[in-house]
Amino acid sequence: MLFKDQLQFVMQHMKKNKLRVTMTVLAAMIGCAFLIVLASIGFGIQHTLKSELLNDEAITQIELWGDDTLSEKDQAYIQGIDHVKVVLNKADISGMVKSTLEDREGESNSSVIDMAAQKKLPSDLSEGRLPEKADEIVVGYHFAQNLWNEADMAEIERKSKEAEEAGTYYDGSEEGYKGELLNKEITLQFFDDELQEYLEPATFKIVGISKKPSYDWVSDSKILFSDALLDMYPDLVTYPTSTIYVDSIENVMPVLDELKEQNYQVYSQVEQLEELDMFFLIFKIGLIFIGTIAILIASIGIFNTMTMAVTERTREIGVLKAIGASPSLIQRLFLMESTFIGVLGTVLAIIVSYAISFAANAILPYVVSYALPEEDLSTYQITFSLIPWSLVVIAGAISLAVAILSGLRPARNATKIEVIQALRQEL
Amino acid sequence: MITVESLHHTFTIGKKGNEKKVEVLKGINFHIEQGEIVAVVGKSGSGKSTLLQIIAGFMRPDSGTIIVNNTEISKFNEKQSAAFRLNHFGFIFQNFQLLPAQTVFENIELPLKLKGVRRAIREKKVVELLKKVGLTEVADHYPNELSGGQQQRVSIARAMITNPPIILADEPTGSLDSQTELEILALIQKLNKEENLTFIIITHDEEVASIADCKLRMTDGLLVGGMTHVI
Repeated sequence: MLFKDQLQFVMQHMKKNKLRVTMTVLAAMIGCAFLIVLASIGFGIQHTLKSELLNDEAITQIELWGDDTLSEKDQAYIQGIDHVKVVLNKADISGMVKSTLEDREGESNSSVIDMAAQKKLPSDLSEGRLPEKADEIVVGYHFAQNLWNEADMAEIERKSKEAEEAGTYYDGSEEGYKGELLNKEITLQFFDDELQEYLEPATFKIVGISKKPSYDWVSDSKILFSDALLDMYPDLVTYPTSTIYVDSIENVMPVLDELKEQNYQVYSQVEQLEELDMFFLIFKIGLIFIGTIAILIASIGIFNTMTMAVTERTREIGVLKAIGASPSLIQRLFLMESTFIGVLGTVLAIIVSYAISFAANAILPYVVSYALPEEDLSTYQITFSLIPWSLVVIAGAISLAVAILSGLRPARNATKIEVIQALRQEL
Repeated sequence: MITVESLHHTFTIGKKGNEKKVEVLKGINFHIEQGEIVAVVGKSGSGKSTLLQIIAGFMRPDSGTIIVNNTEISKFNEKQSAAFRLNHFGFIFQNFQLLPAQTVFENIELPLKLKGVRRAIREKKVVELLKKVGLTEVADHYPNELSGGQQQRVSIARAMITNPPIILADEPTGSLDSQTELEILALIQKLNKEENLTFIIITHDEEVASIADCKLRMTDGLLVGGMTHVI
C-alpha cells in the first residue's frame, strides 16, 4: 500500500472519531507541556545563575592564596604557563583609611597594586590614569558619594528615619561630594593596628577613578595605591594575594589544573560554574523524570483510544486481511494512528509551552515584586522559565516514544485478529 | 489449476480439560480446471465452509496439500497467505463485507490500494468494472445506501478488481431475495464466460449449484460421489 494511501486511510478513521481523538491529543499535549514547562524552570534558574557568574569580570581570573607574597620564581613559573596573560600581585591594607577633603570625611578599604602588571590589563578606569608615584591614587566609582560633611550626615539621618517609617532602607546615595575628584589632592590617614589609632595625615593626588561596578548593588569606594607606597610606609600591615588573568574562559580550567598539580592553592569561579552545571544537570533530570510521569499517564489515554479503535474495527480488519492485507500493514496502520496522536500532541505542547514560558517570564517578576515588596528585583535579570532546543528535542522524543509504545500493543492485537471470527461480527 | 489432496482438519471444541475433537475434513481430494464454476454443496456442518477457509488460507489444514497454479499453499504462514490471496483470489461473502465508511468506489479500489497501485490506474480500472457490474450511477454512494443486490455487485467488483484467476464465494446469494439471486447468478455466469474466471461457490441452495459446471457434494467431512459434472 502506498504511504499516501496509508495516511489517507488513517486520517479517514481519525475523522470518524473526532471527539475521542481530540481528547486523546489533548491529554498527550497536557502531559508533554507539563514536562517541558517543569523542566524549563530548571533551565531558567540555571541560566539566571550562570549569567550572573559569567557577567562577573572575575570569571577569567584565578585567585592564588598564600600567606606570603608570591616569590619571583613562582611568579616566573606561573607567567610561563600557556594562556596566562598577567599575574597581578595585590595586598589589602589592614584597617580602614580615613580620607579628608575640604570639610568632608570618609572611610574606605584600600589595596596596594603592582601597577606594572596592572598596566598590562585592560583599563578598568572610568577616567584618569593609573598611579605612577607613591603619592598618587585611584579611587572607586562611589568614593565621592561616601565623603560626607555634617549637613550630609544630618540629611542621611533624616532620610533614613523616613525610609524606616515607610518600611524601606536609604543608602545615602543622594549625598556626598558632588564636585570633580580627578586631579584633586586629598588627605589620607592609615590606621595602625598595634597602636589602635590613625597615623599622621599625608596628602595624595587622585589620578584615576575606577569604572562603575557591573552590578548596581555593588558600591565601590576603595582606594588603590601604587606598590611604591610600601616604600613610604614599610610598617603597614598588608594581606597579599595574587590574581592570575587567563586569556579566555575555556582556558581557565587547564591553567587551574596545572597549578593544582604544582600544589598551589588556587580558586576560580569557573569551578563553581562546573559545580553549578553538574547540580543543575541532576536537577533537570529529576524534573524531566517527574514530567515523564505525566506523559505516562497521558499514554494510558492513547492506549485506551487505540484499544477501542481496534475493537470497533475488528470486522474491518477481518475484511482487510481477507482480501490480502499483510499483518505488518495492519500493525503499521494502527501505529501510524497512535504516532499521529503523539506528534500532534507534542507539536501543540511545544507551542503551548513556549506561550506559558513567555507569559511566566513577563508576568512573574511583577507577581514576585508584589509578594516581596522589600526585595528590589529590578536590578536582577531573572529568567523564570527557559526552553532551549535540547529540551524540546528531549521532551518530543519522550512524548513520541511513549505514544508509539502505547499504540504498539493494540496494533499487535489487531494483527492477531482471526479473519473468520472477524467476518462473523455484525456491524 | 487447483488440486486438493488428502485434506484433513480437526477442530477442538469445549472448555479446557473437557475438550472434544471434531474431525471436519476427513481426506478431501479433487481437482478444478481454469474457468470452471464449481459448487460445493452440503448441509450445515458438512465441512464445506471449512474447506473454503482452508483453500483461502484463513486457517491451516492438519494435513494434506493444496496446489494452486503449481504452488503448494497449505504450509504458507500468515504473511505468505495474505500475499497469495491478494494476487490469486477474489472473495464474495454472504453478507457482502463492505467497509461502511468507504464509498462504493473506495470499496472496489481497496485491493488495488493494498497492492500499491497508483491512483490514476486504480481509477481507470474501477470505472471499467463499475460499468461491467452496472453500478456507475452509485459510485459515490455508501454501502448502507444500496440494496442487497447492489451491495453484492460491489462485492463482486471488489473481488475482480485485481484480476485474480479464482473467485471464492461463500453463500453469495444467501442474503438476497429470489429475483436478486437470479441477477447475481447471471452476473457470475457472464463474468465466468467473459473473463474465464474460476468460481468456487459454497452453497446449500440447489438453485445456485445449478449454474455450476461441476458439484462437490459434502457430507460429514467427506466428498460423496467425487466430483459430479453437470451435463
